[in-house]
Amino acid sequence: MIRLSALVFLALSTITAYAQNFTVDAPNVVEKDEIFRIVYTADAEVEEFTAPELSGLELLAGPMPSRMSSTNIVNGVRTDVFEINYTIMVRARQTGVATVSPASVKIDGKQYTSKALSIEVVAGNSSGSSSGNGNGAQESNAPENGEVSSEDIFLKLSFSKTKVVRGEPIVATLKLYTRVPIAGFEDVKFPVFNGFWSQELETPQNINFVRENYNNQVYSSAVLRRYILLPQQTGDLTVDPSYMVCQIQIRTSGGGLSMFDSFFDTYQTVRKRLSTPSATIKVNPLPSGAPASFGGGVGDFTMEVNLSADSIRAHEAASLTVEINGSGNINLIETPFVELPQDFEKYDVKTDNSFSNGTSGLSGKKVFEFPFIPRSEGLFVIPPVKYSYYSIRQGRYITLESDTLKLKVLPNSNASSSAQVVSGVNKQSVVNLGSDIRYIFTSSADLARKGRFLIASWYFAAAVILIALLFLVADKVLKEREKLRGDVRRTRNRRANKVARNRLKLAQSYLAKGLQAPFYEELHKALLGYVSDKLSIQFAEMQRDAIIELLESRGIQAQERDELISLIDECEMARYSQQQSDGAMDGQYKRAIDIISTLENKL
Amino acid sequence: MRNSIYTLIAILLCSLSVQAQDSDYTELWNRANNHYSLGEYQQALSDYKEIEEGGMVSYKLYYNIANTYYKLKEDGLSILYYERALKLNPSDKDTKNNLEIARLKTLDKIEVIPDFILTVWIGKLKNSLSCNAWAKVSIGLLVAVAFFLLLYRHAAGIVLRKSSFVLGCIMLFFAICALIFSFNLRGKAVNEDYAIVMVPVCNVKSAPNVTGNNLFILHEGTKIEVLEQIETWSRVELSDGRQGWAQSSDFEII
Repeated sequence: MIRLSALVFLALSTITAYAQNFTVDAPNVVEKDEIFRIVYTADAEVEEFTAPELSGLELLAGPMPSRMSSTNIVNGVRTDVFEINYTIMVRARQTGVATVSPASVKIDGKQYTSKALSIEVVAGNSSGSSSGNGNGAQESNAPENGEVSSEDIFLKLSFSKTKVVRGEPIVATLKLYTRVPIAGFEDVKFPVFNGFWSQELETPQNINFVRENYNNQVYSSAVLRRYILLPQQTGDLTVDPSYMVCQIQIRTSGGGLSMFDSFFDTYQTVRKRLSTPSATIKVNPLPSGAPASFGGGVGDFTMEVNLSADSIRAHEAASLTVEINGSGNINLIETPFVELPQDFEKYDVKTDNSFSNGTSGLSGKKVFEFPFIPRSEGLFVIPPVKYSYYSIRQGRYITLESDTLKLKVLPNSNASSSAQVVSGVNKQSVVNLGSDIRYIFTSSADLARKGRFLIASWYFAAAVILIALLFLVADKVLKEREKLRGDVRRTRNRRANKVARNRLKLAQSYLAKGLQAPFYEELHKALLGYVSDKLSIQFAEMQRDAIIELLESRGIQAQERDELISLIDECEMARYSQQQSDGAMDGQYKRAIDIISTLENKL
Repeated sequence: MRNSIYTLIAILLCSLSVQAQDSDYTELWNRANNHYSLGEYQQALSDYKEIEEGGMVSYKLYYNIANTYYKLKEDGLSILYYERALKLNPSDKDTKNNLEIARLKTLDKIEVIPDFILTVWIGKLKNSLSCNAWAKVSIGLLVAVAFFLLLYRHAAGIVLRKSSFVLGCIMLFFAICALIFSFNLRGKAVNEDYAIVMVPVCNVKSAPNVTGNNLFILHEGTKIEVLEQIETWSRVELSDGRQGWAQSSDFEII
């Protein structure tokens, strides 16, 4: 360790040898009438030193130059160190602020200037015999005869604020003030902060004392701990006292009055228990009316929202990052609400912190990463991310709002089917995946004009009307026929002529062929049938007298009656007697036609 | 009278034969089928589309277009055309089968509220024939009704008359049913109440404006019922009864 620091020292000194520094060292707080030194240091041979002008200070001696040079050879590397000091002894004459103007030196023809000093002078109570050496080390004005008052040495826990809102950062500093030499510490109990989230900002390994003005007294003070506190509860929060035991060296007089006694003081170590008073911090709740997007942040923040890419393919991973920057209770802020499209597969939010502990609280950034995988393509709009915090400086809630983000998801060319299967799993068991759709129709297309239907067409109406018409016609025809069938006599009457004519036609054909028997048969049947039909009598009742009587009643002339009867008789004769009468056939046929025509007109 | 009936019959016959006359479309049809069989789906699609743009339709055309879209991995459009085919011929088994397969690729699973069993049966009976087939059946049945009515009016025997009266009444009932089915199917084919979601993601909102709350999300290929329209927004209903407002451009009427 020592070796390392020596090396560091060496390294530093080598640098400064070339850098040619000119620095000044003086205490920043002195008591009135105290004699102290101001030391100017240069690291090269000085050609000319210009002393500073002093105001409020009395120059006692100096500037007194002193030189120091050393040569080190470490591992064959030679290092030369050279230093020249100019020391001025001064005394403060009055309380207030004394100023020392910059001193300057000339090194190698170049002018170097130190910085100006302002030294606080306090009234104090010392005798003026002390001589602060500028390093703020323990002073040798150890109290005599053992008594160490609580003014000589005390612990102090100071807060940057004592009235805060919940979540507002407070810096607490635990300091030791002393005017007596300290030999060591024991039983240190650091404060416990109940109701606060606390973090140590500073935990010095070596305690460095600096001179400090406290209640117009010059003390050597040292920071033991520095904390950042974030109140987590509201109300009056009490910080419990912290304790420590200090070993203090006190000078004891030998008791004798000899000169030697006064020269050779003896020292004695006493223990003194120090404690801080308990402190109370008033924590007010945050004002009501916090926006919905309030994430517990108190301080000053900025927000940045980014997408990992503007355009990705479906089923590929992407993320949205919300970066919150600023100072305040940044480590305790909650995850902002990000409304990703419902169609995205979302994963756990990843949080990344990078804080630095400043003297006024925490600052840094917190990055929230929202990973997701879009499962279908399209242009997705992510609504603005809102994040609210409470601004201590402005005393109100401030809402940060990002821009609307747009994400274009392109179709995934290679893995569409497999991914679809994945999304189908939670829907139902996947069936039929191996099979394909059925093949197209290749037969005739049966094309029809769009929007045309048989039911609504004129054809349909026409068909219905046609059926109705056909029905009516058929009905009528049938009715007619029925009527006719109902009057059989009339029918027979009407048909008589037609039947007779057919028979006569047949008879004529037999006549032409010279067939006698069939001729007479037909002629006979024609005549009898006609009469039977016309007079509506059955063949069985066809007696000669009955026929004559009926014909007479119908108003047929006797001549015609006789003609008919004789013709029938002739036919009967010819049919049954087989008598040959060639020449008569023609005449009988003509007579039959004549008599039927005559009767037809009269019956 | 007779002559006018003959003319009517002649007109009817002519009109039936006119439908299958357009040789241009037949050629396109065959060419498209050829492309499809060779796996050239893009060309097949453009040929089928040409037929459709010519104003000619049939469930077979819609079915083939749907198959082509399916092969081109346009699932939403393929479902749309299967639905259109079913609209013209609700009983076609091939269309139903392929629609089922195409639906497997969609994301949304929506519970369908089951119908009363009698309604289902009647629906099945109704869908077993196409609109035009029912119309033809109804004409046949009307002819039968007329025949039995004539028999009833003019038959000689009392038994024949009675039985023909009963048969005539039954035929009349069936004829009316067939007519209702045909009209019903035509109404379904003509109405434009149903639609298929065409965009990958369709936000259904509680009000017909952008600021409305998102109620649910529909994905490509989901069938919805369009209830009303206000400007560019449509009120839609899912088959499970949920309702909301969606952009009219997000879906396509079947």
